[in-house]
Amino acid sequence: MRRRLSRSNADVELNLASMLDMAFQLLAFFILTFRPSPIEGQLSLHLPPAVPMTNVAAERPDVAEAAEASGTTAKTLEVSVFADATGEVSSVQVELRAAFQGPADAANLHKLDQRLHEAFALEGSPFEQVVIRVAPNLRYEELMKVIDVCTRQKMADGQMLRKISFVEMSGTDQAK
Amino acid sequence: MARSSLEMTTAQPNLTPLLDMVFQLITFFMLVINFKDAALDQSLTLPVLGSARPLDTKGQEDLLVLNIDAEGQLKVYGVVRDVKIYIADEARQEEARLKTKGTPLKPGEELPTMVVIRADRATRFNLLNEIIKTCQQHNYRKFALKAMNRREGP
Repeated sequence: MRRRLSRSNADVELNLASMLDMAFQLLAFFILTFRPSPIEGQLSLHLPPAVPMTNVAAERPDVAEAAEASGTTAKTLEVSVFADATGEVSSVQVELRAAFQGPADAANLHKLDQRLHEAFALEGSPFEQVVIRVAPNLRYEELMKVIDVCTRQKMADGQMLRKISFVEMSGTDQAK
Repeated sequence: MARSSLEMTTAQPNLTPLLDMVFQLITFFMLVINFKDAALDQSLTLPVLGSARPLDTKGQEDLLVLNIDAEGQLKVYGVVRDVKIYIADEARQEEARLKTKGTPLKPGEELPTMVVIRADRATRFNLLNEIIKTCQQHNYRKFALKAMNRREGP
């Protein structure tokens, strides 16, 4: 009886300080070495294979008529991106008319945006997709700037433009 | 007699706070760990584009991540792979998967998988275009071009 009592009354205190110290050290290590990967953005596109310029008039006579009435040509909108020797944008054309000459800086990209906006804002605009003719040596970063402007455009039905095709320019195209 | 009672004492430490902390640590690592990051080649310098938005497929969409370096080489988990063989294999596996799900791909139909292109900002268009064309040949149509929202580092 005496033995049982002494057992139940025993107050054992373990020293957990060292274990806690180690746990905190581990925690501090993980917090200090934790390096989350940077958040990446993206541009989502629907990229059908590049085909010869589709004449909308053949497929949608109603749209073609509306386009003709408004003085536009019923076809895929063509954007040509030229590059200099370093792979940076040297000029951009929309439907064979210069949108800007020089680098793809904020001012020039704004000009391109306005040109594309005008093309898509026309009443009965026939454009459903954009074909971007790109110089082969153009750098990806420069191309993304042009794509970014294109994906900001709204089509006649109010939807954002997502159908984009790429065509690589030939040597003769670049010389023009 | 008193000494023998001391020897018989059994230690029952209160492990609750310790367990609490272990669980907290486990929770922390479960939240932080991301196995998908292993597929991303962090040596690439992505272009910077303010309007690029993070991808949120809510787990509903299959992704095919292609890491392309400045020389136009495809890197899968850090190993250079042949683009054409890799994409053809992936497309074949995807088609087989759709078949087993009972929704086989009809001729000319596009694959539901989204191709995520993580290309170095210095990659030339002709190299990138070859990869895009290879994907299109295998019925991939949905693409996501990766970019950073803001410039990282110096």
